[in-house]
Amino acid sequence: MKRGGGDPMKRAGLSAIVVAMLTIGVVGCAHRSSLLATSKSTPPPIGPPAAAVTMPKVTEKVLSNGLTVLVSEYRSLPIMRFHLLLPGGGAYDPVGKEGIAELTADVLQQGTARRSAEALALEVEFLGGALGADAGTDFSTVEGEFLSKDLDAGLDLFSDIVLHPAFRPDELRRAQGLALTGIVASRENPSAIAEQCYARYVYGAHPYGHLSQGTEASLKRLTRPDVLDFYARHYVPDHAILVMIGDASAADLMAKAESAFGGWKRNGGTLATPPAPTHITGRHILLVDKPDATQTHIRIGNTAIARTDPSYVQAGVTSTILGGGFGARLIDELRVKRSLTYGAWSGFAARKAPGDFRMGTFTKVETTGEAVQVALDVLEKFATGGATAEELQRSQSLLTGQFPKQLETPGAVAGKLAELVGFGLPRSDLEAYPARVNATTLADVAQIAKRWVPTTDAAIVIVGPADKIAPQIAEFGTVERTTPTGCEGPKAPQAVR
Amino acid sequence: MRAKLVAAVSTGVLALLVAGAQVASAAIDVPVEKSTLKNGLTVLVHEDRDLPVVSLYIFFHTGSRNERPGITGISHLFEHMMFNGGENTVGKFDEIIEGNGGSTNGYTTRDFTVYLENFPPPALARVLWLEADRMRALAITPKNLEQERGIVKEERRLRTDDDPGGKMYEEIYLQAYSASTYRWGPIGFMKDIDAITLEDAKEYFRVHYAPNNATVVLAGAVSPAEGFKMVERYFGDIPAQTPPEPVKNVEPPQSGPKTYAFHKVAELPAVSIAYKAVNARHPDRPALDVLQAILGHGQSSRLYRAIVREKELASDVDVSFNWGIDPELFWLNGQVRPGKTTKALTHAIEVEIAKVRDRAPDERELRKAKNILQADYVRSLSSVSGKANQLGFYETVFGDYRDMFKEVDRVEAVTAADVQRVAKTYLIDHERTTVELVPDKPKPGGPPPRPASPASGAGVMR
Repeated sequence: MKRGGGDPMKRAGLSAIVVAMLTIGVVGCAHRSSLLATSKSTPPPIGPPAAAVTMPKVTEKVLSNGLTVLVSEYRSLPIMRFHLLLPGGGAYDPVGKEGIAELTADVLQQGTARRSAEALALEVEFLGGALGADAGTDFSTVEGEFLSKDLDAGLDLFSDIVLHPAFRPDELRRAQGLALTGIVASRENPSAIAEQCYARYVYGAHPYGHLSQGTEASLKRLTRPDVLDFYARHYVPDHAILVMIGDASAADLMAKAESAFGGWKRNGGTLATPPAPTHITGRHILLVDKPDATQTHIRIGNTAIARTDPSYVQAGVTSTILGGGFGARLIDELRVKRSLTYGAWSGFAARKAPGDFRMGTFTKVETTGEAVQVALDVLEKFATGGATAEELQRSQSLLTGQFPKQLETPGAVAGKLAELVGFGLPRSDLEAYPARVNATTLADVAQIAKRWVPTTDAAIVIVGPADKIAPQIAEFGTVERTTPTGCEGPKAPQAVR
Repeated sequence: MRAKLVAAVSTGVLALLVAGAQVASAAIDVPVEKSTLKNGLTVLVHEDRDLPVVSLYIFFHTGSRNERPGITGISHLFEHMMFNGGENTVGKFDEIIEGNGGSTNGYTTRDFTVYLENFPPPALARVLWLEADRMRALAITPKNLEQERGIVKEERRLRTDDDPGGKMYEEIYLQAYSASTYRWGPIGFMKDIDAITLEDAKEYFRVHYAPNNATVVLAGAVSPAEGFKMVERYFGDIPAQTPPEPVKNVEPPQSGPKTYAFHKVAELPAVSIAYKAVNARHPDRPALDVLQAILGHGQSSRLYRAIVREKELASDVDVSFNWGIDPELFWLNGQVRPGKTTKALTHAIEVEIAKVRDRAPDERELRKAKNILQADYVRSLSSVSGKANQLGFYETVFGDYRDMFKEVDRVEAVTAADVQRVAKTYLIDHERTTVELVPDKPKPGGPPPRPASPASGAGVMR
């Protein structure tokens, strides 16, 4: 039921962006099997290739209201998963109303036309189930998980919050209060400060320049009509994707999906993809003052490619060489060789419009200058020199070897399928992933590294006690200073116009 | 020489009783075979061929409860050192694992230390060889020690020193316990992390990292026969050691409530309230799990409804009760919302505690809690790594992995009267410890920040 032991000290915390990059690949990959000896000093040989991963069988249907429905059977456990992906996340917040996508998702779960917030929570939890809604950057998501015996009851609850949310004023006021508390609390978290400051600094006024949580000022401005408007524009079937996976027959799942969502009215509107953000030229450094911190958090990045870019898979292989797993360059240079940090990572953000490539790490205040220097050196060397054959092989093996884990649970499969279809990519991309990883060449890596790994053109965000850090980073360029709250709102520092 | 493999076969079939209808709705089959090598190494194998993945989890039966003041944090520091590899694999561990498609990590708790790999089946022999190499003869060098000491100090800064929530977690255990070695957490104290010597590390390895103090769990695309054969091949010749001295954690009774207000720069005040409860194997433990779910699981829980929704004093109240080898804390933690007070939040939590002492929950609330715990259990089995982790946990903490299959029935047997009884027995005022976080303002820094330039960032190099 649960593990004991409290808060385990893990060996490394890899950020979500890296975990996202560690998608994928099938077995039978480039394993070196030249070593046949089995003495204690040499590694034993690799065994015979394993069976290929069985891809989930998916049935797809587009309903007359435009909703794309994907269903798949999952028979290993009595679990049922619902996943609805709706175009429109925080990037679609109107200017000045940042946070509306997230607030809409929050209040969505707080009561429907026929259920109060308390009744809804009680029904869901009585079944041992879970419901949740969340706004990402390009999309909003509603998810539900129940035991498969509760398929009908769970689907009724899930569809009720999607189709008939009440948005009662009192619930809106509560959700707004909780969101504001979350904003205040995030100011005591240096990593959260770094993420917020970095978004605006690298994207400027672009819709990707704010986090979906919004800011204190923007949240206070939000009203019920704003929520109703966001809901009316984005919680529509036209371009939405519903995935249902669980311990039931595909025909049954499809029939139930149609019955629950077939009457959902389309709105007929179209949704523009955000424009391409500006690529930063020159080096821009932002120092965010957190006077009590004992550690400095560092981000270095620039805008790069969209999720739909044909080189996205190769970009993932490239990024893994630099900052994915424990054998990556950033880990080797910053952590293993110099003990400057506990974690370092890199990754391409998966976005509809071109997203960013970034690396991140943290170090004690006293070694800020050294860590920034090492990070810049690693980026420079990678951008100009590319990778070695061994590095490419490690990255490919890691990504393909971990691929089956991406298909292990109903939730994981639902998320993968919705992501692909949501970005307008073919579902066959899932199956094709391992082969694409393995087809990546050193030349591909060198080209991607040269084009997208930030060196002279970069946004650098550094969070920590500014007075102690400033002298250590002066040599890297002109430094602009701000505070955590200074990163909130339209006047937050930007590296681009 | 091959050890005789005595395989105890057990199939855990869980008949789940979920929801009011009391209908057995699902049976989950988790077949496990167990064997013990001659050197005392316990091996569990669970075969599941849904995916071409194998998970290897090695549990060493040592954690921060096995430490003493002066070397707190050594279990966790040691966990880090293990990734520098054994005598034949110095500096190559991660490279070999990842180069063969595997991912690897480890974690340390108060009770045990775990090393884990998830990898494609063809890499099985190679992964076992790597694990055996470091269990047999870890490379314990001044360089490795200093390297990991620096990294672990960064980890402590990240998770504890610069995180008010992490600091609260450290403080509540320190204040609640006076004698138990659960007082300190796995990360240890900074001054101890600094002071641990190479001799300490070597001694720790000798005493705790022996096959007779470990459990190997293999789950996924591997048969028991193959798993036992391979584990025997790579681990069979590692000698057993004299078992470590058992830890005797006897916490004296507390004779009155304790309160500690600690100061730290933070945005919001917070409060933690802890009571000393029982260990994982205690007969009252399942009733305390049910009580935890009633008080703290989800938006229909008592604390959420009373404190988050009605009184709006906190954005959440966590209720936590871990399963330990030794008696653990039953503790509640909440961050105070802007404009509200620590006093009001503390009082509101105490009111809810008094209610569970005064009146047994009704049947529907009891049923809801059981459904939640039983559904959580199903979810915990949804990956081979999750199953490997669970099996190793039960074998280590309960002494027998088969306890895992008794859990659903144990929860089912809890009555409303049991819930009230454990509330009255353990959530008592004179055993209570309260820790309050009093936010300090940061010391004013140097010059005020320059105003942001209106259009483009100031200080820009083109």
